[in-house]
Amino acid sequence: MEKVSIITLSRETESLGDEIAEKLSQLLNYQLIDRDQLAQFLHESGHDDLDENIDRVKFLIWAKAVREIVYKQIKKRPIIFLGRGGQTIFQNDVRTFHLLIVSSPEVRLKRIMEKYHQDEVTASHILSELDRKREKFLLETLGADWKNPMMYNLVLNTAYYSVDRACHIILEAMANIGVPSLGKGEQQPLFPNLDFGGNRVDFVHPSEEEFARILDFYRIKWLYEPRTFPLEWDNEGNVIEAFSPDFYLPDFDLFIELTTQRQKLVRKKNRKVRRLRELYPQIKIKVIYSRDYMHLLRKFGVEDNQ
Amino acid sequence: MIESKLGECVFTRVEIETRVKQISTAISQDYVGKRPLIISILRGAIFFTVDLTRSLAIPFDLDFMSISSFKTGFKKVEIEKDITEEVADRDVIIVEDIIDTGMTLNFLMHIMEKRFPASIVACTFLDCPDRRFIEVPVHYSCFEIPDIYVVGYGLDFRGDYRNLLEVYTLHDTSGRSTQILKHMGKGGPR
Repeated sequence: MEKVSIITLSRETESLGDEIAEKLSQLLNYQLIDRDQLAQFLHESGHDDLDENIDRVKFLIWAKAVREIVYKQIKKRPIIFLGRGGQTIFQNDVRTFHLLIVSSPEVRLKRIMEKYHQDEVTASHILSELDRKREKFLLETLGADWKNPMMYNLVLNTAYYSVDRACHIILEAMANIGVPSLGKGEQQPLFPNLDFGGNRVDFVHPSEEEFARILDFYRIKWLYEPRTFPLEWDNEGNVIEAFSPDFYLPDFDLFIELTTQRQKLVRKKNRKVRRLRELYPQIKIKVIYSRDYMHLLRKFGVEDNQ
Repeated sequence: MIESKLGECVFTRVEIETRVKQISTAISQDYVGKRPLIISILRGAIFFTVDLTRSLAIPFDLDFMSISSFKTGFKKVEIEKDITEEVADRDVIIVEDIIDTGMTLNFLMHIMEKRFPASIVACTFLDCPDRRFIEVPVHYSCFEIPDIYVVGYGLDFRGDYRNLLEVYTLHDTSGRSTQILKHMGKGGPR
């Protein structure tokens, strides 16, 4: 399987699909294309968005325009395509990971009650109406059972998982997906640089490998350089400076950067971290400096090897 | 450069006694009418646990747990010695000598949570938040220390110095530990 460039995320009403899409977009640095963003792209490229009088033919014409837009966008960076029948539009694209988020009616009803501050009866009407609209759109466009699990790489029930936990499961599923048709007997990772502890990773520096061993020892899941954060752009919007923190700990939603380098390089890295915090205030990052790292190694009795 | 010989005194015997009794009193007040299960993590926490429990004014059960360490060559942390007491529906207090990175306590909390305690908190002799990167809740802490290497009162360096009644730095030729201690209004020869 080629590298994933598109994640399609289909979801039931109030299944936390929108929240998961947003979070995944942050974690993976994928561009999120939701209904509004797509409408804007369509408008900019001279196409009409779907209106109320939708039918299968209109959908196919619209889908062609959407594909053109998306294929143009993924040249800049990968995307998450939220709803809008993405599982059908990109059905045969080998670069796509199809995700379906569902939840039990009881849980979705409770979410509606809390979100709209309504009693159970009113919330039930709201949920029915929202479900009906979604079903109508998908039936008229896809002409297929959109809840058929065979259409997706992963189906996740958020009655049992929080947004963070769901994202963790999705990342793990994506990192470990295999391509049995290769017939080589070994599963190939979807993302070469997305790897949970335990699998082989080509570390840039031995200190990173040692740190990964310590995380493995404490059963802390990690990803090595899973995300690159653009920090500076030129006038044409091209990224001219970026930063890839060494580790991401999905259970703690935390990035970790090891700095065991010379002071001059540390200063440069500190500047990048400061910039990252300015541009992405929602991102949690911890810098472990050389002294901290030596303490850590001493604690674990491996300082003599350094 | 840290050497294996002792440096300066960080906490005296009197300071430790006073502070441990304060924590013991706090726990006694917080657990009035309850019988907490105190789990001491071997081997570093044993000295602290003894002094802490001696001053408790409430009934309690005491048990001990030991987990494998990275330096002994294990690939994954494992329970070397498990507790014998039942954890389900108990109010658990995990007692540690020091909480720094948070990795050990995170592992212990996960282990205990799977046994369905009524509540679970952590109590530590020393807390070193500067070294933390795994966020873990610390409910009781005798002393917060900066990022310096210390020994004594259960904390060791390659097995030595556990039996000291005070807490010391290890000799630091760079003078960094001395500077930090001076800033804290601490230090002084042994």
